[in-house]
Amino acid sequence: MKKFNFHVKPIGLLDMLHFKKMVPRRRAILQSGSLDPITAVYGVNRLAQSLHPKQQKAVVSAIIPRRDANTYVLRADKLAYFRAGQYVSVKLKIGGAVTARPYTLAASPARALEGEYEITVKKAQDGFVSDYILKNWKVGTEVTLSGPEGPFSYEPLRDEKEVVGLAGGSGITPFMAMAYAILDGIEDFRLTLLYGSRTKADILYADELERICAATDKVKVIHVLSEEKAEGFEHGFIDAELIQKYAPENYTLFICGPRAMHDFLARELPGLDLDEKHIRREFVPAPASPTYFGSYAGDASKVFTLKLRFLGEERQIPLRADEPILTAIERAGIAAPSRCRSGECGWCRSRLIGGDVFVPDSMDGRRLADAGAGYIHPCSSWALSDLELEIFPE
Amino acid sequence: MDRQYDIIVIGAGNGGLSAAASACCRGFRTLLIEQHNLPGGFATSFRRGRFEFEPALHELCDVGEPGAREEVGALIDSYGAKVDWVKLPEAYRLIITGEGEEPIDAVMPFGKQAYIDRMEEYVPGSRESMEKFFYLADCIMAANAAVAAAGGKADPKVMMREHPDFLKCANYPTAVVLRRLKMPLKAQKILSAYWCYMGVNMEDLEFGFYASLVHKYIVNAAYIPRFRSHELSVAMDKTIREHGGTILYNTLATRILMEEGAPVGVETTHGTFYARHIIPDISPNAVFGDMMDGGRDLPEAHIRAVNARKIGGRGYCVYVGLNRTAEELGVREYSYFISELSDTVKEQELAGTFREHPMQATICLSNAIPDCSPPGTCIMSFTTFFMKDIWSGVTEREYTAKKREVAEKLIRDFEKATGTSILPYIEEIEIASPATLARYAMVPQGAMYAYSCGEGDGLMARLQMLDEDQRVKNIRFASGYGPRLYGYSSTYMGGDMAVKLTMKDMKEENYEKV
Repeated sequence: MKKFNFHVKPIGLLDMLHFKKMVPRRRAILQSGSLDPITAVYGVNRLAQSLHPKQQKAVVSAIIPRRDANTYVLRADKLAYFRAGQYVSVKLKIGGAVTARPYTLAASPARALEGEYEITVKKAQDGFVSDYILKNWKVGTEVTLSGPEGPFSYEPLRDEKEVVGLAGGSGITPFMAMAYAILDGIEDFRLTLLYGSRTKADILYADELERICAATDKVKVIHVLSEEKAEGFEHGFIDAELIQKYAPENYTLFICGPRAMHDFLARELPGLDLDEKHIRREFVPAPASPTYFGSYAGDASKVFTLKLRFLGEERQIPLRADEPILTAIERAGIAAPSRCRSGECGWCRSRLIGGDVFVPDSMDGRRLADAGAGYIHPCSSWALSDLELEIFPE
Repeated sequence: MDRQYDIIVIGAGNGGLSAAASACCRGFRTLLIEQHNLPGGFATSFRRGRFEFEPALHELCDVGEPGAREEVGALIDSYGAKVDWVKLPEAYRLIITGEGEEPIDAVMPFGKQAYIDRMEEYVPGSRESMEKFFYLADCIMAANAAVAAAGGKADPKVMMREHPDFLKCANYPTAVVLRRLKMPLKAQKILSAYWCYMGVNMEDLEFGFYASLVHKYIVNAAYIPRFRSHELSVAMDKTIREHGGTILYNTLATRILMEEGAPVGVETTHGTFYARHIIPDISPNAVFGDMMDGGRDLPEAHIRAVNARKIGGRGYCVYVGLNRTAEELGVREYSYFISELSDTVKEQELAGTFREHPMQATICLSNAIPDCSPPGTCIMSFTTFFMKDIWSGVTEREYTAKKREVAEKLIRDFEKATGTSILPYIEEIEIASPATLARYAMVPQGAMYAYSCGEGDGLMARLQMLDEDQRVKNIRFASGYGPRLYGYSSTYMGGDMAVKLTMKDMKEENYEKV
C-alpha cells in the first residue's frame, strides 16, 4: 500500500526521543540487579539433578540369597526417586574390561527417598557379568549406578486402570516395584500378575508377593510353572488362553521376561485382539548371536578389526562378528556410554565412519536422521566388515 | 588430542552449531563442546515405541524456497548443511474459549494478501488497518536491513530521512500501535496469536520486533525439517566436521580459565582446551555462575547487569503418539493457539501459576508430514510455558503427578476447544516439564525463552548495547540469551553474529590464528 501518515504521538520528533530513551532505560534496569553471586542453579535445576543424577554411588548393605540369584540392598545418603518399572545401569570393571548392565529397581520408590534401592541379579547362562556380581559383591561393596532410566512404567493417561503383568524369571522385578508402589499409594491401578517360573522353588520373591497380596486387593498373583505340576499353580507357559482366563475386560498388558518368552508371546498375542497401545514391553537385551535374526546374512564366525576414535585418540581392536560392537569396545577396556543395551535408549549413539553393520529391525531404536547419517547404537549393531567408529565417552 | 583452538564454542544448541559452522567456514580452528550425547540442545528428537517426536520446533521462519532463500535458509545453505525442509500448510488456528470472551475460532493462512482477506472475512472492516500493519512491517524490514548493512550503527540523520515510519512505530508496544491503526479489537486479537512464541504480552512487546516476526511468518511462510529438528542438528554436525571443526559430546565445560581479564581456555570433564575466544551457547548465568565463581571477579556493574536479567518462559510440553490418524480424530490443522483469554497481559500473569486452563500452542505434526508416524497413527504435541519459577517448589514425590495434571488439562482443553477426542487414543506419551529442560539442556529454571525480551530488554535495545553487554573481553554469546533473542531463527542468526563480533574482537587485538 501507499505511504500513509502515521503517528503514535502527535509530533514525529517525540518518536525519535522515545527511541533515544531506549538505551538509558535499559542501562538503568541493568544496574538494578543484585550483587549476589551469579547462579544458573535454581530449585528446578536441583530437582532435575536429584531426579536424574549422572551417576550415583551406593554400598551393598544386605544380600538376600535366592535360588540362582541374589537380591542386593543398596544404600546411600541419597538415591534418586524413580517411577516403578525403571532401571539403573550398574557400572562394572571386570578384569581388563569395563562394562555396564541395566537392573530394574525392585523395591518401592518410597524407599529411594530413604536412600535405599534393591536390585536382583540372577545367574544367567553364559553370564559374564552376573557370575561376577554373584561371586564378588559382598556387604560393603561400593557400586556405581546411573540415574533411574526407562519408560516401562504405568501411565494413567495412556493405560487402562487394569494391568495384566506377564513376568518370566527375573522379569518379575519391575512388577515388584509396581506392586510395592500400589501398596504405598504411589501408583493407582489394579495389577494381575501372571508369573512364569520353572518350579515352585524357582519363584523369586514368593513370600514378598504373598505379603503384598494379603495387604491389598489391588494386586493379584498367579504363578505359572513350566516344569512342575502343583495344586494352586497353573502349569505350562503363559499363553493366550491363560491370559484370557485371568484378564479383566479392559486391560493393558505389561511384559517383562527373557527373549524366549517374548518370542513365544509374539505368536500368542495376536489371539488376544489387543492393539499396540495396550501392549507394553520391557526392553530385551541382545541375543547371544546375530544368527538369531532371520535377516542376518553375515558370517558370524569372522573376527574383524575396529578402528575406534574417541577424544582425539585412535585404537585398533579385534571385533568379533558374533558380538554386539559395544562388547568389543568394553572388552578392550574402553568405557563407552550405554544404558539399556537393547537398542532403545540411544545413550551409546556413535558415529560410523566406515564399514558395514547389521542392525536388526526389531532392535533399531535409532532416530530417523541418525539412521540416514550413519550413526549406530553399538549395543544392538553387529559388524559385517572392518569398521571405523567414533564414540563419545562420558 | 588437539588442545589449541582459535575459538571454543560451549554448547551445541542452535546458536552453538551455527557459531561453530560459521567459525569453521571462515577458517578458524574451532572446538565445539556439548554436555549431552548429541547435537541440537532443544533442536533434537526422541523415540518412544513406534513414534519419533519433535521436542521443540513449531515453525521455523525465514527459510524460503531453494533458489529464493530468506535470511536463515540462506545462512544454513551457506554452511553447506543439507536439510529436507517441509513447508507448513497454514499459519495457525486461533481459538479463544473463555467465558465472557467473544469466541474466536480463526484459521489463518500464509501469504500477505490471503491473510488480509481471511481477516476481512472474520472481521469485516479490518482490511485498511491490516494493510497499514503490513505497510509498517515492510518499513521495519527495510529499516532493519539498512541497520544491518550499516553494521548495526545506523546514522540517526539517515534513519530520520530514509526510515521515518520505522522510527515512528518500532519502539512502541505492539498493542499501542495496533490501537493507533484503529484495528478492530477482534483483528488485534487474531493478529496477536504469535505473542506466545516470545512470552511477552502485547502491551510490552516492541512493535518493531513483533511486526517483523509476523511479516516473516506470514509473508514468507514457515518450514520444519522432515525428520524433526534432529535432522537439522545432524546436518550441522556433519558440515562442521567437513570444514575441519572438532566436536566433543558428553563433555561438560566446568571452568573458564582467565588471564588478565580475558579467557585463555576452558576446563572440561575431558581435560583443558585452550583458546583466546569463547562463544558460549549457554546462559550468562551458567558461564559466570558455574564457570567463573559466581562472577566474583567481574566489576560490580556487570554482576548487577547479569542478575537484573529476567528469565523468560519456562517450557512445558506433552507429546503423544495416537493410534488414530489426524483425519479420524478430526484434527485438521498443523498449528493451534488455544487460550481462555484474549488479553495477553492477563494471560502472561496467569502463566505464572498452575492454572485451570493453561494457554497452549499445539502441533499436529502429521498434518505437515503425513508419514511422520506409521499408517493409522499420528503425532501431536501440546506446549505451554510458565512465566514464574513455580516448578522450583515441586518435590520429587509430587513431580510425576504434577506433570501429568498439566498434561491432562492441556489435552482436555484441546478436546473441548476443537470438539475432538484425543485421550482414549494415546499409545505413547511423554511429558517434558521445566525440570526436563533443566536436565537435558541445563537451562536455568528450565527456561525455554532465555532472558525475556519484555520490560525494556528488547531486541533493539540489546543491539544498540552490544559492546556494553560484553561482560568479559573475548566472550560473545551465541545463545538465545544473547543480543539476537531466542527461537530457532534468532539463535541461528545469533550464532553467526557471535562469530562476526569475535572477529571484531580479534581485529582489535591483532589476533593471529593458531
